[in-house]
This record gives sequence, C-alpha cells and structure tokens, in this order.
Amino acid sequence: MAGQVALARPGGARRFVGAGSLLRAVLRRPEGLIGVIILTFFALLAIAPELFVGPLQTAVTAKGPRLSPPIEGFPLGTDHLRRDMINLTVHGARVSMVIGLLATVITVLVGAVVGIVSGFAGGRLDGFLMRITDFFLVIPTFVLALILTPILRDLVGSGSREVFGIRMTLVVIVVVIGITSWSSTARIIRSQTLSLKERAFVDRARVIGAGGGHIMRRHILPNVINLIVANAVIVFAGAVLTETFLSFVGLGDPLQPSWGQLLESARAIGAPGLGAWWYFVPPSACIVLVVLAFTLVGSALDDQLNPKRRERR
Amino acid sequence: MTVASRRQSLPKLADPSAPLLVVEDLKTHFSLGAETVHAVDGISFTLNHGEALGIAGESGCGKTTTALSLIRLLPSNASIVDGSVRLYGIDLVTKSANALRRYRWREVSIVFQGAMNALNPVHRLRDQIVEPLTERLGMSEKEARKRAGELLELVGIPKKRGGAYPHELSGGMRQRAMIAMALACDPAIVIGDEPTTALDVMIQAQILALLEDLRHKLGLSLILITHDLSVIAETCDRVLIMYAGRVAEEGTVDEVFRRPRHPYTQKLLAAFPNIRADRRTLDVIPGSPPDLRHPPPGCRFAPRCPFAMEVCTEVVPPEVTFGQVRVACHLYPPGSDGVQVTTAPPNAIGATVPLVEPPPAEPPLEVAGG
Amino acid sequence: MSANPMPNGDATPSADPALRADPAPGTDPAPGGDPAPSGDEILRLEGLEVHFPVRGGLLDAILKRPRGVVRAVDGIDLTLRRGEVLGLVGESGSGKTTTGRVVVKLTRQTAGRMSLDGKDVSDLWGSRALRDYRRRVQLIFQDPYETLNPKHTIREFVMEPLLVNGIGTPAERESRVVDALEAAGLRPARDFAGRYPHELSGGQRQRVVIAGALVMGPQVIVADEPVSMLDVSIRTELLRLMLDLRAERDLTYLFITHDLSLAWVIADRIAVMYLGKIMEIGPAEQVIRAPHNPYTQALVSVSPTPEPPTMGERAKRTILVGETPDAANVPVGCRFNPRCPYVFDRCRVEEPPLFDVGGGQSAACWLAEGGRELPVLPPRPGTVPA
Repeated sequence: MAGQVALARPGGARRFVGAGSLLRAVLRRPEGLIGVIILTFFALLAIAPELFVGPLQTAVTAKGPRLSPPIEGFPLGTDHLRRDMINLTVHGARVSMVIGLLATVITVLVGAVVGIVSGFAGGRLDGFLMRITDFFLVIPTFVLALILTPILRDLVGSGSREVFGIRMTLVVIVVVIGITSWSSTARIIRSQTLSLKERAFVDRARVIGAGGGHIMRRHILPNVINLIVANAVIVFAGAVLTETFLSFVGLGDPLQPSWGQLLESARAIGAPGLGAWWYFVPPSACIVLVVLAFTLVGSALDDQLNPKRRERR
Repeated sequence: MTVASRRQSLPKLADPSAPLLVVEDLKTHFSLGAETVHAVDGISFTLNHGEALGIAGESGCGKTTTALSLIRLLPSNASIVDGSVRLYGIDLVTKSANALRRYRWREVSIVFQGAMNALNPVHRLRDQIVEPLTERLGMSEKEARKRAGELLELVGIPKKRGGAYPHELSGGMRQRAMIAMALACDPAIVIGDEPTTALDVMIQAQILALLEDLRHKLGLSLILITHDLSVIAETCDRVLIMYAGRVAEEGTVDEVFRRPRHPYTQKLLAAFPNIRADRRTLDVIPGSPPDLRHPPPGCRFAPRCPFAMEVCTEVVPPEVTFGQVRVACHLYPPGSDGVQVTTAPPNAIGATVPLVEPPPAEPPLEVAGG
Repeated sequence: MSANPMPNGDATPSADPALRADPAPGTDPAPGGDPAPSGDEILRLEGLEVHFPVRGGLLDAILKRPRGVVRAVDGIDLTLRRGEVLGLVGESGSGKTTTGRVVVKLTRQTAGRMSLDGKDVSDLWGSRALRDYRRRVQLIFQDPYETLNPKHTIREFVMEPLLVNGIGTPAERESRVVDALEAAGLRPARDFAGRYPHELSGGQRQRVVIAGALVMGPQVIVADEPVSMLDVSIRTELLRLMLDLRAERDLTYLFITHDLSLAWVIADRIAVMYLGKIMEIGPAEQVIRAPHNPYTQALVSVSPTPEPPTMGERAKRTILVGETPDAANVPVGCRFNPRCPYVFDRCRVEEPPLFDVGGGQSAACWLAEGGRELPVLPPRPGTVPA
C-alpha cells in the first residue's frame, strides 16, 4: 500500500514499447553507439561487397603479385593466389555475417519456442523438453559441430545450390551452429517465462477464458522479446566465432571464403612462418571487431533492460 | 535499562535539558535529472521523552522521506536542503556521515515495513541481532548472545527460535524480530515505518500491543509512520498529518481526531471505515495528491478542498497554534479563535478537480511498494 | 461535503456521503439460516474443498510416509443471493482467496459442487460450457499495477475477453469497450483507450480492471481485495462505483477482503473464514454487532477505528495469542480451539457445524448451539502477549 516513494524515473523499460525506442536507447549509451557504428559498417560491407571492391577475385581473375606485402595499389597486400586482401576480406564479411545471421535466426527461433512452450506448459512436457535441452547444452559446442558437419555435408552433397547467396556447404554450417546453440537460449527464455507465468496479468487472461496459445503469444512473448533480442546479440557473436572455428579446421568452403576460411588458407600456406602478416591480420581484426561490437551493443541493451543498473539519468 | 540509566550513556554533546527531538523546517529534495521533487518542504515538530508521535498521510506525502531524513538513510539522489534535526539539542543535519553513525541505531533506530526486506535471509535470527551489539556497542560475542536472547524474549519470540532463518518464521514473528533488532542498542527513539501494514489485523493488534508495552517498560519514544489513521488513533499520543510535503495539522490525538480542523484531516478521517459507528458511510476526496515536481502555488490541498477560497490558491497558509493543535489553513488565520470549521465558508470556490481526472500529460510518479 | 460542478458536465458525485443509499435487495433474513429460497440464489457452493498435496521428499517416498495435505478450503457451503454483496472476510491462510479462485475457475476444487442459477457447474472443463460460465462470472483483481500487461494498451486489455471468446463484430466490440470504460468512470473513453498502463494512476488502472470485468456482461463478480492497494481517499470512489454498477447492471458481488471494517461498510452479508472453514455468516449488522463465534468477536474487537479508544474500550479487546496455524496442520476438533478464550472439552474433540442463531445468522461454535450468546469475558491473562 502506501509504501516508500522510490521516486525513480517512471515507466522505465516499459516505455520502450517498440523496436525503434530500443534502438534509440542503445544509441544513447557510448558503448552502444560505438557498437552500432561498427556493426553498421560491417553490415554495409556484407550487403553489397561488390559495390566497394568489385566481384570476388579468384585465382583466375587475380592480378596482383604473389603474396606481396602492402604496396601501391594493394593496401593490404595479396595472398598466395595473387588476390587482393581487401577484396577477400570484404567478401569475407558477407559470408561470415550472413552465416552468423542465419544461424542466429535458427537458434533464437528454436530456443525461444522451446523455452516459452516448456516454461508455460510445465509438467511432463517441460520435463521432457528440458532433458533434451540439457543434452544439447552439455555436449561441447565445438565437438558436436565437428561431428555433425561432415555428416550433414554428406547428406547434402557438394553441389552448387545456393541459399541467400551461400552455398549448401555453408548452409550446413548454419544448421550446425543452430543445433549446437539453441539450448542455452531455451534455458534463458524458459526462466523468464516461468516467472512471467505467475504474474497477475496471466491469471487475468485465464479468467477471461484465454487458452495457452493466446497467452503465450499475447502475454508471454511480448514480455520476453527484449530478452530474446539481447540474447540474439550474444548468439550472433558466438555464431561468427563458431563459423570461424569450423572453417579454420577445414570444414568451410574455399570457394566462398569467410574470415575463418582465410585464416585456414593462411595457416595452410604457412603465412605466419613466412611473416606474411597481411594474410591473417585483416581477417582476425575483423572478427575481433565484430565480436567486440556485439558485446558492446549487448552491454548497452542490458543496461536498458535492467533498470536497477541505470545510474546516470 | 531504565530511562534513568540511559541518561548515563547520553552522547557527549547532549544537552540533558533539551527536548528529545526537535525538527525545524526540514526540507528534503530529490533530484530526477533536470527536475527537483520537493518531497519534504518545511516540516517542524517536537518529540518528547516517552511520547508516541504518529506521522500520517497518504502515499507521496513525504512521511517516509521525513523519517529517513532523521537518520539520513536517504537514497543518493536525495538531500536535506534546509532545516535542522536536533537530538538532545545536537543538530544531526550538520554532522558528517561518519559522525552520524554514532547516533544511528544507538539513539535512533528504525523498523521497516515488510521485515523480509530488512532481514538477511542467509543469517540466523540470533546472529543478526548480535551484529549491532558487537559492532556498535563493542560487546563480546558471549555477552552479545546473552543479550540477543533477552531481546528475543522481550518481543515475544522464544529464545530457542533464535537459531531460525527468516524464511522459517511467520510474518508476525519476523516483525517482532525486526523490533528486537531495533532495540538492540537501547535507542531513545524507535521509528516505525508502516510496521504493521502488511500484517493481518490480529497480528497487527499483537505488535501494537507489544510496542505499547515496550514503550512503558523501556521508556521508549516512538515515531509511527503510517497511512492508517486507525492505527495512530489506537497507539499514539500526538499526531502529525502531512500533505504533499507539508504539515496540515498537528496536535494531540484526542484533539485532532475528535475535532479535526483542517479540511484534509476531516475528509481523511471520514474516508476510514469505522466498525463501531452507526452509519456505514465513507467520504470521497476527489483527485489525487499533487505532482511534487511542480507543486501548486498556495495551499497544496486547495485543488481538492471543498472549502477552498480564492486566497488558498495564491498564498501558502501559515501554521498557527491554538492550544493543543497547530493548523496550516486559511480557515484558521492568525488571531482567529481556532474553533473547528465544518461547513464551507460563504466565499468558497470549492474543489476544482474532477472525480476522475483525464490521463495525465506526464506519467505519474511511481510509488515503490504498491 | 459540497457537490462539485464538473467542467465537462459529468454527473455530480452524490452529496450524500452514505455509501449505501438503498438496502440491498434480498436482505430479508430467511428463516433457518443460510439456504435461501432457490429463486433468490444465483451461486451456490456445497461442501467445497480444495486440498493441495505437500510434495514429499525422497526420504518420505522411501519410507512410505504419508504426504501432508494443505487443506486450504476444507468444506464450505455458501450461497450468493442475487444482487447482494457478500463479504468474505478472513486473515491470511483462511482460504478466502482460494475460494474466490474456485468460483472463477482459476483453481479446481478437489471436492464439492457448484451451481450457477440452479444449473450444476462443478465440472466444466470442456470448452463451450466453460466459456459460457466465464462470460457470466468474472474477477476483479487486487493489484492494479500487475493485472494490466505493461505492453498492452487499455483498449487491448478491455477488448481481450471479447476477442478470446469470439463475441461480436469488430464494430460491436469497439462499442462494448467504450461502454465498459465509461461505465467504469473513464470518460471520455477515447482519451484512455489508447494509453498504456504506466500512464495512468492507480485508481484509474483499477477502473480499467473493472471495465475489463464488465465488458462481457457478467452476472457475478468476485472482487479480491479490489481496493487494498489504493490510497484511502481513492478507495471510496471505487467502492461507490462498484455499488452503482450493481444497481445498474444487476450484479452480485463476492467481496473478498481481510479488512472487516471494509466489509462492514460495503457488504450486505458477511461470512468469516478461518483455516478453510466458515466460522460465521449472516447479515453484516448482526455479525458485527452480535457475533456468535469467538473468532469473529475477537476480530471485531481488535479492528482499529479512527476514533481514539477510551480506556474501557481498550480493556475489552480480545487480542488472541499466537498465530493462525498452518493449513497443513489443522487442529483436531474445532479448528479455532487452541486460541479460543472460551474453549472447553468438547471443542478439542468435535468440530461444530454451523448453528442457526436466528435472523439469518449462523455460527460454527458449540456455544452457539441452541442460539446462546457468547458470554462476556473479562480480559484473561492468556489473551495478551506478556
């Protein structure tokens, strides 16, 4: 009843009822701003790499000297197939980012659905789904990925069908990342669902006769969406890293080099030993920057979603 | 310890002839970004030895902020901007945070609403009472445990339950434990901030009877903060009615409750159901308390006051004392006889707010705790 | 208490401070205690029980120890008369909230029967009949800050029951929402419909909750502590609104509260619950002024009033010792016996039924058998904590 007047800024997170305001809130924090700038930069590169550096160079179309350090006309040097490093790195952005995006979509979709249904339904369904979730959670991501990828690639074959401009071999990686990452999302969303389920507005929905589906869609989902977005940001970063790892151990596709693939090629020709730093530094730097950017955005988002953390007004 | 022996442990600077607590023109403001909330805007009152003073008002009136200002347990965006709080004549407002520690808990302690928030869930009851004894009074562990046992018995908790954790106790027991903790250093004043609001009426009766009993046994002085006028009527000697950060009326419980002068007091009293009254009626006060970021000029209650006059919307009413009662209302100007007014004066313009206000332009300030 | 002229021409609040202008219909006490003539009754609960199993640990399972049972509602008979406000009063652990939840079918009873308007509604867990039941029996929640989903507008909240139950065309739904909001005092409705909950005050939010309960045109409303989270000066408006709506829309209220004084002001009849059973029931005047059950008497005596009590009044208080026991450990015999100031041997062994004590009032107490009145007791040493 009449308790202490906390006199906090009213409304808080509830004011942000749309994606637009969430974005604006993130931009208000310095780390959010930096993160978004970096990500926008890479997103632009990923959407239309040809605009910036022309089509992907191949061994046939390459014109530069072989494995040259940065010189006139090739600011980041060339690789062992005489391709311009800038060209490769920018195209690599598209592969890495698109794979990351698709994998995140799968992960978050599956994770959220399982989390919400499991948390809301409770009982035996919850128990059953959680045992499956735990199974996937416990197996080390990279090990599972290593095992699954060759199996799926055999299933899919190595034809040249493309999905979203990505060859099937890489789609396999997308699926594998999805399979290995959904479980932690599911756990997080389920947790939030469990506490939402007890709130009075869910009771009210029941009293007026709403069924489970309606409640999950109209009451649970809108209140976990912010958490899903925050989680998606982290998942995206993880997806980029997982893809890098898989490509680095040779499960990528040399015809559509991602940053990880470039690192694999660099390793394969012994670039570190040769001192050809321009081969592996650019892709590495990009990976670090992108993951860092996601972390910064994630941190800014976390501040928005957690009103107690907000100190500055 | 009796009142007499407490006098031996008065703080060094204490003036034994001064009243126990004198608050003069206290002003506490909160800063919310660019705006300032005038939560407490000029409160004065006196608390005498052995007295129980009730501070009443609805949510947002500033009563809790007043209590927290006395021992400076304010959040970081709040500060006391004016006024004095004199304990035994010593002004606590001028003391540094460090110096204030001497007084907090040893002279003035506080019992909050909802003991679960104040009790540490991972420590046993007994240990939580021992803590202030060893920290503040420098007692040995053995002495402190003995005293903790005594305190528990004093508040009606069997000594052997001292080993329990807070979640193992019922609401009433936890509140008793809070009282035991508050009494640990034998303070002169205990502030109760809605101490019984969340409790069942029977438990409430037990706790209030306990506080009354302790008051007489230990010579304790009590400041009871609550929105529930009925509780104040039952337990307090004097009452201070607050509205929107200011004093509306103050005096002995007998006088204020039987002959309320301020229109807010009259309406508030009439808004409480009375199980012993014949007529089953309840009064309505239209509108809601003002936004303390932009308080209205003049009397802050004027927009909702059925007896409001033109002057009320322009001039802040002065506080005038008539015998046992102090009122801040233009119906009782200085020099008038102070007789209770219960009908609208001929030049009244009445309340100007509608019964259901349109949705506000700015969101209302949120009150934590419901 | 002057009439306030409204700038926008809304109806002036009544100058009469009396909350209850008219005696409620159907308050003529029926002879023979609670069962009302069936034409008059709208909701009936018979032998209602809600028992929750206490989950045993592994050790209990191994040792085959019987698991405990929480007897939240332990056999109550209750009849709601058409148009009345029945105050269901009890402290925490009394089972009053659970009873309310059973009536709106948020919680399932473990035994007992319910009937609405004469038709049995005890087992309705199929869709059509349940949907129809929900249209006719609705709930007003306690917490106006939590009942409204922060992501939904006011319009969405009030519209939701209609959408979920497929009631009306979009145009009809819109007009029902407007009607409900205005009936709840939120005028003009369009100013409120597009807002979010955090933009409204507590009193306004509770009006929205009321509108949400009205929109399907119910006959019975269960109100669970509807004003306890609001400021005192706002409560009266909401209570008056509820009574006005009763008259306008032929409603019947089950008004659940822990505050006996509040029940005194608003209820026609009062039922007092303790540890899952009804201890006393009858017209409000009689239950409060002449309680026949010691628990009721104690509650009345400790209910604080805004009048400073005299010394004599203080002395007559019956402050019970101890607290309400756990619903998993209900005392044998009369469940109030460990704390009762009048206890005698029979109380510890046999649980009393509700005895008719005349005037439509019944009390569950061996002392009430034969319609005796409670003796006047001086305060005993054991009734006030040392």
